[in-house]
Amino acid sequence: MSPAESGREHLITRAFVSLADTLVDEYDVIDLLDRLVGYSVELLAADAAGIVLADARGRLRAVAASSEDAQLMELLQLQSDQGPCLDCVRSGSPVTVIDLTVPAAADRWPVFAAAVADSAAFRSVHALPLRLRGEAIGALNLFHRHPGPLPPVDLSLGQALADVATIGILSERAVRHGEILNEQLQAALNSRVIIEQAKGVLTQKGKLSMDSAFDRLRNYARSRNLRLSEVARQVVETDIADDVVATQVARTRRRR
Amino acid sequence: MAELGTVTQALLAGGDDGVDAHAVAERICRACVTGLDVDGAVISILTATVSRETLWATDPTAELLEELQFTLNEGACMQAATTGTPVLIADLHHNSNTQRWPIFAAALAEQTDVRALFAFPLQWGTMNLGVLDLYRKTPGRLSTAQCRDAISASETGALMLLGVRTDPCHKDADGDGGGSWLDHAPSSRAEIHQATGIVLAQLGVSAAQALARMRGYAFVEQRLLIDVARDVVSRRLQFTEEMG
Repeated sequence: MSPAESGREHLITRAFVSLADTLVDEYDVIDLLDRLVGYSVELLAADAAGIVLADARGRLRAVAASSEDAQLMELLQLQSDQGPCLDCVRSGSPVTVIDLTVPAAADRWPVFAAAVADSAAFRSVHALPLRLRGEAIGALNLFHRHPGPLPPVDLSLGQALADVATIGILSERAVRHGEILNEQLQAALNSRVIIEQAKGVLTQKGKLSMDSAFDRLRNYARSRNLRLSEVARQVVETDIADDVVATQVARTRRRR
Repeated sequence: MAELGTVTQALLAGGDDGVDAHAVAERICRACVTGLDVDGAVISILTATVSRETLWATDPTAELLEELQFTLNEGACMQAATTGTPVLIADLHHNSNTQRWPIFAAALAEQTDVRALFAFPLQWGTMNLGVLDLYRKTPGRLSTAQCRDAISASETGALMLLGVRTDPCHKDADGDGGGSWLDHAPSSRAEIHQATGIVLAQLGVSAAQALARMRGYAFVEQRLLIDVARDVVSRRLQFTEEMG
């Protein structure tokens, strides 16, 4: 094994141990998904990653992204209508687009391919299903700046991360029936609404970008061992916004 | 992936005709009893601190469900309102399900023939706009499809009630694009929620009031809410006390 490989091995182990730790206590699904997209970027050398979930009406909604910038969120949200994520969720199978600039991609998803071309940031996309009993409840989306397929070993690792996401969503409380799934999905999607509102409050109060507003929110929650969605709720409903704005932001661990 | 359920379809077909909260609640309840395997439905506002009110009940049993919870100050729909998560009880005689509200469960068994109870919060972000309670006289779960339909209907219902509360033109029902408000895709856009937070901080008001101000502005300027939200997020538009 090369040093690079063993280094990665070490990272993978650390990621799964940390995720398993997260699952033990009473945890916040949104926080778990946020960590997951972080690890996806780190371990799979992706330039960006995001998770979408299907809501009760079957539409895809973005719940976590490696960067909260508008462009990436837009690319995730666009796929409610068309794109690799939607196809992945519909089929329950991975969808790989090794080069989004080829005509076949533009034919299949004209709006999505055009948006990717506009962003000029990404060339390839991999969508991996959040699988549950033969269905997909959402997808993990990996974006790369360069065209080309992910190596099979990376794809399996990506799928393992996607499976952790499913487990995390399901077992926030004990799994009793399929109906729990709907409850949990709904709670996660609603938490996301609150997080967006909190980001808005923080950008206004602290003259921050959406991206750094989210960083402050996350750092405030993690440094105090609070649930991300609970901190977001307090930002919207009480007056902790100034404290969150004043939070020290740790060195950013994510690439874009 | 899920197609739209019958209840959700029925709600969306009606559009947003600028009616009041009671009429909205009536429509949701009726659609549920018609489209789902339940015997009755009721929608109440359960905010702990403010007024408690039953907006609509399909029958006396449904009404009694709410009365009992108001009186005893506990129950499935109160749990749904405080947690923001549905409470689904397939069999009320299984007391492992009812540990969180034993007195309410006992009263139900004594005074009604309700066996299954499903409570769905009408939730928008941090705000609870009410709870939809469905009951059945026989035990049993809602099927996955029905459960999905009920959740999607309660989400649509929450938007409808929020629409009533934040309606800039009240009864002026000459089509102010209420349909576009109810259309789920724009209403779930991140920009609308971000802009709500920004306006909330600009004006020092609640999330609902911030949304109402944006809707009012969109109505007056004859623009779409999503476009107004984008202007707020990109700082092209700022809300101040002086603005209407």
